[in-house]
Amino acid sequence: MRKILIANRGEIAVRVVRACRDLGLASVAVYSECDRASRHVRLADEARSIGPNAPVESYLHSGRLIDAARASGADAVHPGYGFLAENEAFAAACREAGLTFIGPTPEVIALMGSKTAAREAAAAAGVPVVPGTDRPFDAAAPESAIAAEAARIGYPVLIKAVAGGGGKGMRAVVSADDLASAIRAARSEAGAAFGDAAVYLERRLVRPRHVEVQLLGDRYGTVLPFVERECSIQRRHQKVIEETPSPAVSGDLRARIASAAAAVARSVGYTGAGTIEFLLEEDGRFYFLEMNTRLQVEHPITELVTGLDLVEWQIRLARGERLDLDPATVLTPRGHAIECRIYAEDPDAGFLPSPGRIVALTAPGGPFVRDDSGAEPGTEVPIFYDPLISKLSAWGGTRPQAIARMQRALREYDVRGIRTTVPFFRWMLAERSFQDGEFHTATLDDLLQRRQGEPFSTPDEDDEEVAVIAAAIHASARRDAGDSPPGDAVRLKPDPGYVDGLRGDVASGFPGPLTPAGAGSRTGGWKRQARLEALRA
Amino acid sequence: MYEVETGARTRSVRVARAAGGYDVTVDGHERRIDAVPIGRAAWSLLIGGRSYDVGVVEARSGALTVYVNGRMVPVTVGSPVRGRHRGASRGQTPGIDRAGPDPGLAQTLTAPMPGRVVKVLVKAGDAVRARQGLVVVEAMKMENELRAPRAGIVGEVRVAEGALVEAQTVLVVIE
Repeated sequence: MRKILIANRGEIAVRVVRACRDLGLASVAVYSECDRASRHVRLADEARSIGPNAPVESYLHSGRLIDAARASGADAVHPGYGFLAENEAFAAACREAGLTFIGPTPEVIALMGSKTAAREAAAAAGVPVVPGTDRPFDAAAPESAIAAEAARIGYPVLIKAVAGGGGKGMRAVVSADDLASAIRAARSEAGAAFGDAAVYLERRLVRPRHVEVQLLGDRYGTVLPFVERECSIQRRHQKVIEETPSPAVSGDLRARIASAAAAVARSVGYTGAGTIEFLLEEDGRFYFLEMNTRLQVEHPITELVTGLDLVEWQIRLARGERLDLDPATVLTPRGHAIECRIYAEDPDAGFLPSPGRIVALTAPGGPFVRDDSGAEPGTEVPIFYDPLISKLSAWGGTRPQAIARMQRALREYDVRGIRTTVPFFRWMLAERSFQDGEFHTATLDDLLQRRQGEPFSTPDEDDEEVAVIAAAIHASARRDAGDSPPGDAVRLKPDPGYVDGLRGDVASGFPGPLTPAGAGSRTGGWKRQARLEALRA
Repeated sequence: MYEVETGARTRSVRVARAAGGYDVTVDGHERRIDAVPIGRAAWSLLIGGRSYDVGVVEARSGALTVYVNGRMVPVTVGSPVRGRHRGASRGQTPGIDRAGPDPGLAQTLTAPMPGRVVKVLVKAGDAVRARQGLVVVEAMKMENELRAPRAGIVGEVRVAEGALVEAQTVLVVIE
């Protein structure tokens, strides 16, 4: 294996480029039209265009990806997560084209990708599953049949997409009255997201935690389970904060849950990196939920507490190396790690997507902080894809230390031009239930419900006073520098000496398109002004 | 002299160059501010020894978004022309644009974010209940059902399924 095509975009494509470079392998990025200038394209050794912006025309287009791999002379394909990462047809197409697919075999992807088949496999391996549908309902199944099954299982039920993931195509239904509309919504969303509208039902457990086990498997039958990740902080079934180890898992429970996960993976001949998700009840009983046959978004926290590079291991296992790690070291957490998923969403407007241009961005750094980002100043966050822009992780010797470092990092995280979930995380990490580790999968939705839309980033008196002072100084300095005012609403008194000729400069953007704040492609007013100021002082 | 508006308040601010920064007078109270520009869109302010890292971004319609130590403060710098800027964009529910204060007048449903219209659930002439789903818009892989702001009759549907819409595009008019 010498050259890897990365069939993905954004932060995970950047992550894989870095792993390739660490291993001395060449990397090939792919991009849709709007991603030409993205970070993953510029960091990779080579890059290939794969079509228009719509995912089905580019990142979900198996044929174009295979063509790009062939044309670039790549001998392996890393699918990242999302898009075609769990698509057995794509894995099979790679194999037929003579490319190594960095992941499990198409057969295992198909088996574990069907949530109902995966449930059967788990049950056969002796692992308990959540009560639910034995066979899925395809797109043509009548709603009455689904209603009858829901009544048999007992409300509340969850409708889930057979091909689903990330909460897409999932709906919780409390009573029979709401079932019909929830079925329609789940089918439509599943059809749009995965091209498969089949759904199944599952009993909804009361106050469960979401705990998952990362594992690696080699071609020679060795499967190693890792220390669990706690992913209960979810908003509408989407993980937003993950940590490891779980505050709710004792050493004894860890051993049992890890061996259950390994038993399921072994029984299906799993190879590569994968994750088995469980629901953990308050009494310590756990149920198989599903298996993700790919690298997980939240893999960095496992890397932080085990010291292992999971992407490197994916590549090594795909090229046939043996998994010669000490089982005890991967199951014993060294300290504690937390990850916050920074999304381009406006937490003060119900977490609606907030696409647009990032005009300035400063990511935190410093001791024990890691930022896996696909964004930078000038990045245009498109409307076509998942709005995840970065994953911020922090490590500490203890959970409180990890929380304190995460809070420090969140304070430094500065993104301007679009809204992000950073203000939400600043609030969440200070929440009592989070600090105490006392939460379950519905805790965040309950907390948000209780806030009733109260904004997360309300400036206090001091902030407002400083903002007023800064805005006035800014306007004054701009005027002195001969810049025209930044727009119609800004009317200065006395007249600012508005100069028509400078209008173009302002119209072209402030601080300027694709120009990092401070990098200043224009050497006009601002820099000269600063120099004059310095001389005067 | 600038009229600077933030939150519910408007302050009169006078700025004068001074040694090591600016003399800034806010509503008659003068202070020496140590201010250093960091590139074109950021400032380091030292006020009474406290350090403030400040970013300034021009938002839509010329208003500024000022970031104070990472916290966002919307600010409008302008003249007090009959309170023209005051509250111009406040007091509205996102996605619901009131055409008038009288509930008998037409209301529009607007797209709260850019996206693609996946489904139009109503047609002109339909009677709709308050909070009934009207249009499904997909943005960033999630489908969002946009609901009627109030009961009424659909006067006009301005988008077709499959259309790409910008934020604030009028989707449906309810009479």
